[in-house]
Amino acid sequence: MFETINIAKGVNVHVNETTQFKTINFSIKFKDKLTEEKASARSILANVLQHSNEVYPSHTALRMVLDDLYGTSLYIDSSKRGSEHVVTLNVETVNDQYLSEKGVLEKVLNLMYIVLFKPNFENDLFKESIFIREKHSIVQRIESVFDDKTRYAQQRMMELALPNHPASITSNGTIQAVEAVTNEQLVAEYQEMLTQNEIEIYAVGDVKPEMIASYVREFLHFKDREKAIAVAPMELVKPEQSRVLEHEDMKQGKLHMAFFTPITFRDEKFPVMQLMNGVFGGYAHSKIFVNIREKESMAYYVSSSFASQFGLMFVLAGIDSKLEKKAVSLVLKQLEDVKKGNISDIELDQTKALLINQLKEALDSARGQIEIYDQYMELTESFEPEYMINKWKNVTKEDIAAVAEELSLEMTYFLSGKEDDTNA
Amino acid sequence: MHKVEFDQLGETLFHETLDNGLTVYILPKKGFSKTFATFTTKYGSIDNHFVPQGETEAIKVPDGIAHFLEHKMFEKEAGDVFQEFSKQGASANAFTSFTRTAYLFSATGEIDKNVKTLLDFVQSPYFTEKTVEKEKGIIAQEITMYDDQPDWRLYFGIIENLYKNHPVKIDIAGTVESIQDITAEHLYTCYNTFYHPSNMILFIVGNVDAEQMMTLVKDDQAQKTFAEPAEIERVYPEEPKEVAIKERVLEMSVQKPKVFYGLKPEKLDLIGPEMLKHELAAQLAYELLFGRTSDFYHEAYENDWIDESYSFDYSLESGFGYALIGSDTHKPETFIKEVKHTLQNAVEKWPFGQDDLDRVRRKKIGFFLRALNSPEYIANQFTNYAFNEMNLFDVVPVLEELEVADLQQAFALVSHESQHSVFTIMPSKKDAE
Repeated sequence: MFETINIAKGVNVHVNETTQFKTINFSIKFKDKLTEEKASARSILANVLQHSNEVYPSHTALRMVLDDLYGTSLYIDSSKRGSEHVVTLNVETVNDQYLSEKGVLEKVLNLMYIVLFKPNFENDLFKESIFIREKHSIVQRIESVFDDKTRYAQQRMMELALPNHPASITSNGTIQAVEAVTNEQLVAEYQEMLTQNEIEIYAVGDVKPEMIASYVREFLHFKDREKAIAVAPMELVKPEQSRVLEHEDMKQGKLHMAFFTPITFRDEKFPVMQLMNGVFGGYAHSKIFVNIREKESMAYYVSSSFASQFGLMFVLAGIDSKLEKKAVSLVLKQLEDVKKGNISDIELDQTKALLINQLKEALDSARGQIEIYDQYMELTESFEPEYMINKWKNVTKEDIAAVAEELSLEMTYFLSGKEDDTNA
Repeated sequence: MHKVEFDQLGETLFHETLDNGLTVYILPKKGFSKTFATFTTKYGSIDNHFVPQGETEAIKVPDGIAHFLEHKMFEKEAGDVFQEFSKQGASANAFTSFTRTAYLFSATGEIDKNVKTLLDFVQSPYFTEKTVEKEKGIIAQEITMYDDQPDWRLYFGIIENLYKNHPVKIDIAGTVESIQDITAEHLYTCYNTFYHPSNMILFIVGNVDAEQMMTLVKDDQAQKTFAEPAEIERVYPEEPKEVAIKERVLEMSVQKPKVFYGLKPEKLDLIGPEMLKHELAAQLAYELLFGRTSDFYHEAYENDWIDESYSFDYSLESGFGYALIGSDTHKPETFIKEVKHTLQNAVEKWPFGQDDLDRVRRKKIGFFLRALNSPEYIANQFTNYAFNEMNLFDVVPVLEELEVADLQQAFALVSHESQHSVFTIMPSKKDAE
C-alpha cells in the first residue's frame, strides 16, 4: 500500500501512489508523550498555527489563499493514541489533471512550509492577541462537551474510573491546564515539536513516491532527531467506586459501563477480542442490540466498543432512567452467554464478515488508509488488509469465550434527569 | 441502457428507466473495493397529507409516520433483514429526511446478493399490529435522545419559527405522543402510495460492472408484479411569505447560549436547472457574506462573538428552504445584531465583485471534486438532485457560468426583514447555581 522513504533520523515519508482519488492527501504527524500539560499546549499550538502566519498574517488572508488553490483544505488537529499525543497537519488538494491550471502541488507544499516554519511571531513570541484568542477557543471546545450528554457521560465516567491515566486525558487537555499555558511555554513546545518529535509524513494520490520525497526535502526542513523510547502502557487501577449516579437537566438516561481486559492492541489475542466485542455489542446482529433493543424495545442505541490501546471495553445505551437496573442485568446476562460460549455459527460468521468489510471499506478513503497504516505500523512492516483478515479467520467460539472470561466490570455510570431515582 | 461520459470529471454514468417506472443509475468507480447502493423513495416527513393509491379523498396521517415506516421495513416474518446483510458482510442502514426515505448498504463482497436483498426487503412490506407496537418503545427512545440534543432542538426551533403551515416544521420522527396513533393499516396505506417503483431511484456506485448489474436489476424487477404507475397527489398548505415567529428562546442544559439566525426564501417553486442555478448562486453569496474569508467571520471570531461551532448553510427544496447562520456564543445579542447588519449592508450596496466570485467559485469546485471521492456523497446527493429534476454532474458547468448579478439576485430573495427569524437556547436556570 505505502512505500516508505527515510528523510532524516526519526522522519519518514510514506506514499501510496494510486489513481483511486481525484485529490492528493497529505498528513504530517508529530508524535509526543501524552500528558495533560502537553495535550493542552499542543492543542493551542495547532489552532495558532492554522490561524495565520508571517506571510498570511490574518485568518482571512490564509483562508483566501486556500480558496484560490481550488479550496485546498488545510487544518491542524490534536488527537491521542494510547500514551501518545499527535498533532496532525492535514492537507487535501485537487489533482491538477482535473483543472486548467498547473503547478498547484508546488504551491500547496510551499504553503505547508509557511504554516509550519513561518509562524506569526512578534518579538519571538506568538502574536499575543492570537495566542489569547486561540487559548480561549480550546477552552470553549472543552466546555462544549457538556452539551452532548453522551460524550459528557463517557468523559465523566473516564475521569472517575481512571483519573490521571492516558485513557481519561483528553486530546485537548483540561481548562485549567490550557489557561495556565504561557506564550513562552508555547514557543518552547513549538520548537520541540519541530525539532524533537518523531514525524510521519503521508501522501496518498496520483503522485510518485520519489517526487514527494524530494518535495519534502526541498520544502520542509526536518532535521535528524532521536527516536522516542517506547513508553510502557500504564497499568489500569481499580476505581474506588464501582457505581456512580449523576444528574443533569435531561430526559433520557445515559448508561455507560467500563470493563477492564488484559488484552491490548499489542497482544496476540487482540484479534480475538475484536471478535468478542463484535459478537457482544459492535453491530446490529450483536447480542446486546438484539436483546435490549429488538426484544425488549428498551433502547434506540445500545452498543459496545473495544478501546484496544488501553485494554478497555465500554457499553453505552440510552434508556428510560427507571430501567437502569434491568438494562445492566441484561447486559451482564449477555456477557455470561459469551463466556459460556453460547455463540452460534451464524453470529461468528456475521461478525467476521462485518469486521473484514469494515476494514476494507475504511481503506477506500485516503484518510482511512493513512490512519490505519499509521496505527498498524508498530505491528507490521507494511500493512495489508490480509494481515488482519487471516488472524480473524481462524478464531473459534472457544477463543472468544476465553477472552470474555478475562473481562471485569469496573464501573457503571448512570447520568439521568430524574432526581427521584427508583432503583437506588 | 444510456451511458453518459463526464470527461472533465473522469466519470461515466449508466442509467435506465425500467418498465415498472424504476429509475436505475450505476456509476462504476475504479480502484474502490466497496460498493454503495441506495434505494430511495421520494417520500419524507412533509408528505403527511395525500390521496391514497386507488382512492379519491385526501387523508392526513400521524406525525412521524414516514420514519416509523422506515424502521418497520427491516422486520419480516422470517426475522430481521440486518441479520441477512450481516451474513453477506454488508453494513446496512436507512434514513428519513423531509423529502426522502433511503435504504442503503455498503459492502466489499457478495454485491449481487446484497443488491437482491436490498430490492427484496424494500419491495415486500410486512406489518402487523404486534410488530408495530413493539417499535413504539424504540422510537420513543430515539425521539427522547434527540430531545436532549441542543443542536437538534436549535435546528428544529428555527424551522418552526420560519414556517407557519408547511409540514417541514414537524419533527421528522414525530413526538412520543403522535407515534402512539400509528397502526399497521396506516403503514400499508403510506407504503402502497409512495413505494411504487415509479416514485423511486436505485443508485449503485463503486466496484461494479454496469452491464451485468443493470441486467441483474432488470431481471429482478421483471419477476415482480406492481400496480400501474399512477400520479401521487400530495397536498401542501399555503405558506405565507413572512415567517411564523420572529423570536423564541428555549432553556436547556447547555454551558452557554446557542443561536440560529434563519432566513426564509421568497421563491419556493423552482425546479430543475433554475433551481440548481439559484441554489449554487445563493450558496456562493452566503459564502462571501458569512464564510471564513468574510469580514463578518473575521470580526465575529476575533471579538469572540462566535466559536468553533459556527456554521452557515443554504438549503433549497421544492416548497421550502432556509438559510441558517449560527453559533454557540456568550453574546447572542451582539451576534444577532451583527448578522442583521451584514445583511442590511448587502441589501444597500452589494459589496462583491468579479474577483470575489472567482475565488469562492474555485473553492466550491474544489469542494465538489473532493466530494466525488466519496461514493456515499455521490449516491445521496445525486438522488436528492434527481428528485428535484437536477443533475449532480451539472454542478461544475453551472458554477462556471455564474455571474456576480446571479449571486445578488439569489440573495435578494431572502433579504426582506419579514423573512428573518431568531431562535436561541439559553442555559437553564436550574444549572446556573
